[in-house]
Amino acid sequence: MNKDVLVIGGGIAGIQSALDLAEMGIQVHMIERLPSIGGKMAQLDKTFPTNDCAI
Amino acid sequence: MGNFKISVRRKARYVNEDLCTGCGSCAEKCPTMAVDVFNAGIGKRKAIYKHFAQGIPSVFTIDAPNCRQLGQGKKCGVCAKTCQANAIDFEQKDRMVEIEAGAIVIASGYDVFDPSVIPEYGYGRIENVVTALEFERLLSASGPTGGHLDRPSELALEEEIAGSEKDVRKMSGRVKQLEEKQGKTSALVIEEVKAGASDPALVEWAKQAESLAGLEARLAAMHHKKAASTTAKKLAFIQCVGSRDFRFNKFCSSYCCMHSVKEAMIANEHDRDVHSSIFCMDLRAVGRGFEEYKLRGGLQANIEYVRGRVAEITEDEAKNPIVWFESTVDRQVKSQVFDMVVLASACVPSAGTAVLAELAGVELNSNGFVKTDSLQPLATTRPGIFVCGCAQGPMDIPESVAQASSAAACAAEAVIGSPTVLRATA
Repeated sequence: MNKDVLVIGGGIAGIQSALDLAEMGIQVHMIERLPSIGGKMAQLDKTFPTNDCAI
Repeated sequence: MGNFKISVRRKARYVNEDLCTGCGSCAEKCPTMAVDVFNAGIGKRKAIYKHFAQGIPSVFTIDAPNCRQLGQGKKCGVCAKTCQANAIDFEQKDRMVEIEAGAIVIASGYDVFDPSVIPEYGYGRIENVVTALEFERLLSASGPTGGHLDRPSELALEEEIAGSEKDVRKMSGRVKQLEEKQGKTSALVIEEVKAGASDPALVEWAKQAESLAGLEARLAAMHHKKAASTTAKKLAFIQCVGSRDFRFNKFCSSYCCMHSVKEAMIANEHDRDVHSSIFCMDLRAVGRGFEEYKLRGGLQANIEYVRGRVAEITEDEAKNPIVWFESTVDRQVKSQVFDMVVLASACVPSAGTAVLAELAGVELNSNGFVKTDSLQPLATTRPGIFVCGCAQGPMDIPESVAQASSAAACAAEAVIGSPTVLRATA
């Protein structure tokens, strides 16, 4: 059985999943439609409820 | 389960990723402008671009349909001449990449509902009605206005001024050339033509001089209008645009109540004179610290919460949107003028979700998001494929992150087996 994992989408959910899997020593392949990862969250200025910067 | 074979089309960037250093001199020299997708369509970027400044991977990409050489078949290649790393590759082609995986995590996200299908809110027709994502870019220090709350109507005016100035420069150059060549002033020529001179060259000259004067007058009026304009001070936020609305989506989009409070707070942080009215059926502040956040907005950031659903948005001559609503406190239909209206448009399944679901062999729920079971919220209908974030339904960032870690754990369990040691001791 293949031990790699494919993550479809490079937004905040995809990035978090991929990082967690990689930390467990699993080879991850990520697919993203746009030229950069980051997704919608990268477009946000700040996030609630702490008003921290999104990037 | 266990052995998925995936064919991926790796789209050509037309830039060699191994050579590009991300210095950006290509974009500096690129002569073609295109709509900036990252800034939600506000402002322009070059045809060779990085999706956003901090984007990873830090390499440039050519937007082929907008590129002179690739999309329009003209001779250009300015970027290739400028690039010191020789990274530009117009011959690059899409490649098919084969991936084998033991598990799949779907995190394909969502799309923002297009509110132009709701005619009464006037999105697309009334310039100063924007979506929350557009407003987010206007607020951002790295956005098209550098964080100033310039209204879209003012931005359009600026663009019009720039265009007219260019026309004036061109035309006055032509008229001045004629004046110097013929040794006559344009005013005299206009007089002559009025008096009956029929020389076609003179008539044409007079016509040009007159239209130049007209254009200059219009330009002066535009400058006057621009000088009188200020940044947006009175904001209205309209909740549940396209969600909790049986015409469009029945579900609640879950995060928009809070992001409207946030945007109103940030706007007030930028400029203490900003006052915001949030029009909502009810304000759903259910996460940790959210209720306190909502109250803080009301107490410290000049936010007023108005209960009721907005019926219509109209526009006055100064391009100010007028919000018509029923005040359920006074039991009256009221109207209020604002500088800008922000629509909290719904979170809808991303455009490719149905195709992706078919390819992956997973089912969708009645709202079009990936179907999961309430007892196994990350498992799709196909073993070995998991889903997290807004692909599964509307949710905010903390919930997306929590789900993402859970989905990672599920996928890990699927490929390396369950931690039996832990299970034995538990």
